[in-house]
Amino acid sequence: MSKQSTVHFHRMKDMPSTHLLGTGTPMCAGCGGLETLHTLYDILGDKTVFVNAAGCMTLLSVYPFTPFRGGWLYTAMASAPAGAQGVRDAVDILLQKKKLSADENVEVVVITGDGAAYGMGMSATSGAMDRNLDFIYLCYDNEGYGNTGQQYSAATPHAAITSTSKGSHGYPGYKKDLFSIWAAHSPAYVATVIAAEPLDLAKKVEKLQSMTGPRMLISLAPCPPGWDYDAQLSVEIGRLAVQTGVWPLKEFIDGEVRHTKVPKQRKPVEDYLQLQGRFRHLFAPRRDATGIAEIQARVDDYWALAATK
Amino acid sequence: MFRIRFHGRGGQGMKTASRILGSAFFMAGYEVQDAPRYGAERRGAPIFAYVRAARSTINERGIINHPDLVVVADDTLVGMPAAGVTQGMDENTLLLINSHESAQTWGQRLNTRARILILAAQEEVEDRAELPYIGSRCAAAAAALTRVISREFLIAALNEELAHLNDEVIKGNRDIALVVFDEMATQADLVNEGVQASASDYVRPKWIDLPFERAEISNIAIHAAATSVKVRTGLWRTMRPVINYDKCSGCSWICSTYCPDGAINVRDDGYPEIDYEHCKGCLICVAQCPPHAIESIAEQVARGQENGATP
Repeated sequence: MSKQSTVHFHRMKDMPSTHLLGTGTPMCAGCGGLETLHTLYDILGDKTVFVNAAGCMTLLSVYPFTPFRGGWLYTAMASAPAGAQGVRDAVDILLQKKKLSADENVEVVVITGDGAAYGMGMSATSGAMDRNLDFIYLCYDNEGYGNTGQQYSAATPHAAITSTSKGSHGYPGYKKDLFSIWAAHSPAYVATVIAAEPLDLAKKVEKLQSMTGPRMLISLAPCPPGWDYDAQLSVEIGRLAVQTGVWPLKEFIDGEVRHTKVPKQRKPVEDYLQLQGRFRHLFAPRRDATGIAEIQARVDDYWALAATK
Repeated sequence: MFRIRFHGRGGQGMKTASRILGSAFFMAGYEVQDAPRYGAERRGAPIFAYVRAARSTINERGIINHPDLVVVADDTLVGMPAAGVTQGMDENTLLLINSHESAQTWGQRLNTRARILILAAQEEVEDRAELPYIGSRCAAAAAALTRVISREFLIAALNEELAHLNDEVIKGNRDIALVVFDEMATQADLVNEGVQASASDYVRPKWIDLPFERAEISNIAIHAAATSVKVRTGLWRTMRPVINYDKCSGCSWICSTYCPDGAINVRDDGYPEIDYEHCKGCLICVAQCPPHAIESIAEQVARGQENGATP
């Protein structure tokens, strides 16, 4: 496959104005994950095979309907990267035997939610990176098991209310640092992205297209029903996640981590938190100053540490 | 056995309504089944939930095909075939519609043998997905129309099913549910309890037996691209974004990029165009348009204007 690409996403105007992903999917109105997927797909193009672990996006392709223009394979929740290995191997054999021409080659793209990526799919993902599998992995991270009613996952942030963390303080645990876990495998590429920053997302997709090996993306995916906010705020909340420093946009290449968008003056985390019903208990009936301060302190610590590197 | 079906949109609380009614029946000594039924659809999409309640063991399973009572939370669903509101209704069925319009009007529209009752709609809300207290109102109305559930059991069921909400919200639901309960308790038209069918009474539908086909015939591979466009997710919409082209700067890329569904296309002249067949009404475009050239109007108002404009 010719993997040549030049970065040409500089302005909003450079974003694709026609969309490859079909409309009519069953994703919720205002889905932040679908927003990332459609941008990714617009840039990758239709020579792609998607391998989809169980999750919200399983519903994208329900026979006889599919929003894709190429292949789609459904796997069990823990095994999408293993499915990707099979597709990659099959395509490579067909190429080798000249049953597929070079221009019929496809890019294999895994899509899973955070339930699979941060939890039960981690072993298959780790194995795929060990084997240096040539694939792209997009995790749409809506910080919970969204498809089944937002039970907590290993990606759920501290203090968020989920359907299994309903107490007055929300989820007691802390969001797992999947970026670092993935980066520790030294794959070709790891990046965090968000649909609310489409240029940053587009540049990263452009960049990974010119690479081979495991290319890993984690997209924070604002989720109107799971996070309990009005769907029209999806982009606003996504942008605030970046501006408050809660969701750092960064990439890992050749052993180095680089932040791709550093908020100059970080907004207070409460700007992000207070728009979401899952954090409402931090503000009403009484303001939980200690709880908010703890979340702020963790974000501050992250950026203080990042500045020393 | 009582067979009751609730129809609404995702977000209106039909699942909760069926749970409240189910719990109230249970407290009144009934065997109960209650279940929501939604496929892959989401907020705003037509969904239904159903309750079976009987004094003896319930052997029936699955969705209710011949309802004794159909409760409709949102009257815009009644004429929508995909919502299946009128499915299986006969002269034994009582149809309760939350509507501003009269039973007579609905009777003329539907040409149905079912008896029709109106649950007087409260003040119109802009966004139908946000109808206040509608789940509790529907549950209370259904409870009263069965005449076998007392006020006390209804209150207890509401408290139990809404326990995760704060006290003020629970009280609001309770107060409004009791108003509806008392109003419906004076209605002369009641739910007729249907008879329990026995397995030996089962009449085989007039199916045509087809031979078992190999998968490549019965489940043919579809090579067409993006077939999802055949699904009209525009039906989910309760609010409609409308572009004011006088204000639109023609930047196009912003609304079109942020639209999660790819339902905003860029026309040849560079201006954006919303695909209403598929727009789900999330209104991200309204929130993100830099010159505020997209406004939102209630879907039922927009449809009314369309119908009014058509000769």
